[in-house]
Amino acid sequence: MGFLITTLIFLVVGIIASLCVRICCNRGPSTNLLHLTLVITATICCWMMWAIVYIAQVNPLIVPILSETE
Amino acid sequence: MGESRGGGCCPPMDLMRSETMQLVQLIVPMESAHLTVSYLGDLGLVQFKDLNSEKSPFQRTYAAQIKRCGEMARKIRFFKDQMSKAEVLPKELLEKESDIDLDDVEVKLGELEAELVEINANNDKLQRSYNELMEYKLVLQKAGEFFSSAHRSATAQQREIESEDSQQAGDDLLESPLLQEEKSVDSSKQVKLGFLTGLVPREKSMVFERILFRATRGNIFIRQTVIEEPVIDPSSGEKAEKNVFIVFYSGERAKSKILKICEAFGANRYPFSEDLGKQAQMITEVSGRLSELKTTIDAGLGHRNVLLQTIGDKFELWNLKVRKEKAIYHTLNMLSLDVTKKCLVAEGWSPVFASNEIQDALQRAAVDSNSQVGSIFQVLRTKESPPTYFRTNKFTSAIQEIVDAYGVAKYQEANPGVFTIVTFPFLFAVMFGDWGHGICILLATMYLILREKKLASQKLGDIMEMAFGGRYVILMMSLFSIYTGLIYNEFFSIPYPLFAPSAYDCRDASCSEATTIGLIKVRDTYPFGLDPVWHGTRSELPFLNSLKMKMSILLGVSQMNLGIIMSYFNARFFKSSVNIWFQFIPQMIFLNSLFGYLSVLIIIKWCTGSQADLYHVMIYMFLSPTDELGENQLFPHQKTVQLVLLFLALVSVPCMLLPKPFILKKQHEARHQGQSYAPLDETDESLHVETTGGSHGHEEFEFSEIFVHQLIHTIEFVLGAVSNTASYLRLWALSLAHSELSSVFYEKVLLLAWGYNNVFILIIGILVFIFATVGVLLVMETLSAFLHALRLHWVEFQNKFYEGDGYKFAPFTFIFTANEDE
Repeated sequence: MGFLITTLIFLVVGIIASLCVRICCNRGPSTNLLHLTLVITATICCWMMWAIVYIAQVNPLIVPILSETE
Repeated sequence: MGESRGGGCCPPMDLMRSETMQLVQLIVPMESAHLTVSYLGDLGLVQFKDLNSEKSPFQRTYAAQIKRCGEMARKIRFFKDQMSKAEVLPKELLEKESDIDLDDVEVKLGELEAELVEINANNDKLQRSYNELMEYKLVLQKAGEFFSSAHRSATAQQREIESEDSQQAGDDLLESPLLQEEKSVDSSKQVKLGFLTGLVPREKSMVFERILFRATRGNIFIRQTVIEEPVIDPSSGEKAEKNVFIVFYSGERAKSKILKICEAFGANRYPFSEDLGKQAQMITEVSGRLSELKTTIDAGLGHRNVLLQTIGDKFELWNLKVRKEKAIYHTLNMLSLDVTKKCLVAEGWSPVFASNEIQDALQRAAVDSNSQVGSIFQVLRTKESPPTYFRTNKFTSAIQEIVDAYGVAKYQEANPGVFTIVTFPFLFAVMFGDWGHGICILLATMYLILREKKLASQKLGDIMEMAFGGRYVILMMSLFSIYTGLIYNEFFSIPYPLFAPSAYDCRDASCSEATTIGLIKVRDTYPFGLDPVWHGTRSELPFLNSLKMKMSILLGVSQMNLGIIMSYFNARFFKSSVNIWFQFIPQMIFLNSLFGYLSVLIIIKWCTGSQADLYHVMIYMFLSPTDELGENQLFPHQKTVQLVLLFLALVSVPCMLLPKPFILKKQHEARHQGQSYAPLDETDESLHVETTGGSHGHEEFEFSEIFVHQLIHTIEFVLGAVSNTASYLRLWALSLAHSELSSVFYEKVLLLAWGYNNVFILIIGILVFIFATVGVLLVMETLSAFLHALRLHWVEFQNKFYEGDGYKFAPFTFIFTANEDE
């Protein structure tokens, strides 16, 4: 469940970011498309990295073994 | 292929493709030519073609003007030299200075140069006399001391002799004690003893003495005194250490020898008289002349400085004007002269959107130069490939330069810079991931950005110049680094449970097995990033390595897929369906049926927690695809799926290789169908398959060349699929190196210093930690990760779609770089 919720959060943040960029720097359709592409790419990159690290820890095959001096 | 009108498939995006360029021809009447070029230079949107390329520089129309400008530039350089020597700074150029005439400038420069040269020559002469007089004064003082000390010892001796009741008495004993012996022996042989005084450089003094001694067979007496402070040598103008010498000799021959030796050693001689009274008189005279000279020299220098100030006021203005004029004449030389029509013809590339502005500039120039005829602007059709022009701003120009450093985009092909703006800092951050270090870099780059205006006008060193130019890229890098640092949970290598408590805990209350079997997962997965418990555990590296390697593969496969999709957009834009069907699709199928499948397996393994060995699965998929999978089964019907994927991959290879050359050949023949009937003198061999395009002249079609090209492309892609995917493992390697270095600096320096409970050691430890962090992690690791992220983009991403064999649009403009000194 945590995965889906956080994915939705990423989606919402991405949408808000693109709206913000559209509002603050509205300079013609081709430039807007460029800004949108950049924001979407950044959102996807960040989401992918988070998702990979999250999924890798859901069903771990290795558990932490503390070192002696703990 | 400058003619192929592509586009229309997707809405246009800034920066994705080069601006549309057109070849324009301008016909300009002679009288408005200069103004036209000047206004077009202000506009900065036309790249002139050199229409006189076969002429030498001397044959061109405006060679004399360029020589004039060269002369003026030389004078300006001379002024700059003089000003920097006198430490006069030129006045800063204001934005809108009034326009000045070149002839006026030339005349003024000539006058000022003559005046300055004269002042300099006079100053040099005066300075030389001054130095000589200074040396003379020293000689007078020191040699005077010789004589007075000799006099004193003589009087002392005289008193001794007198007290012994010597026979000889007389005044001349006091005067010349050195001649006492001689006179007493033989007064008939009146040998006249002469002397010379002067200065000799200290390092040559010993050799000087020895040579004098040898040359005169020991018949001289020489005395030297050291002068404490260095003296300015009149001939060289530099300070040198010198000694005052006085040489006593007898005879004319000895005198001439000594004179020659003095000349050879550069020892300056000065006249000195024995008479005490005269000595005092000379000293006062010399002092008087020295003070006179000093005032004259000071006045001269003052005059020169005033002159340099007046030059400095107008210097930047003249400098700019001369450079502008030179550039204009160079450009005018590129235009071809249409003698019959008394006008100049210019050809150049310019963006389509600038047509109106160019026509405006032409209009204004025609009006301003009072010419009867206006200029003509027309667009030419050509098959030449236009230059590539991207309109960038201060954010995107740095990234575009990075992309261009590998190769400038072919006209209108997709620009990898669009995605590089985000993926480059992102991949950097994957290798750098530490939010503490990210914050440090963010602070550094915010300083550069906030002081942008001030730093832009200063002249920075080479390294600072590069860092300043890339400040927005570094800003993105630092922001992404903070993000990945939060995900890797490293703050100077210390993890923090920022978002929730750690998911792991002891198996039972006593925690007895924590160091042998380990903890277990009791709560929900840590919600954002890596669980903080991992740092410092024994099983940290196996877990992290597995995680980071798999992440690298996933990110790599995504980026490569993006690259192939860009090639699809290119194919659609250039309307080349053969590229879509027989390049894009087989490439997608090949890459994804092998490495896309691997990525899917990774995700399934993580989601199900299976213990399958993915190495084993992938390798045996090729070696023995029909074997049972047994333990390594991740999902039902896996064997069938693998067989299908293997089959698709194998089929896609000949699909990439074979059809395209044949289809291209058919297309070429279809295009030139009608034209092959025209030349009647063609032999029957012209119907042979491997006809070259020699008779047509425009396009050649060598089938064997195309086939070999396609073969190389296919092999490169197939082998590259494996090697490029493995290459992405550097994301894992560098992030491991970074976190290990960071961890070592923290534990072995800071914690070690803390453990001693001594303030002094703690301070040293903190200093070492700071220097090591800044030097190794913030500078070296940044450069290293920058370089590797760059390589991943240039090679692994761009070789999927980028050709990069275009040339950059270099418009004629008056924005000069600081070092242009031509």
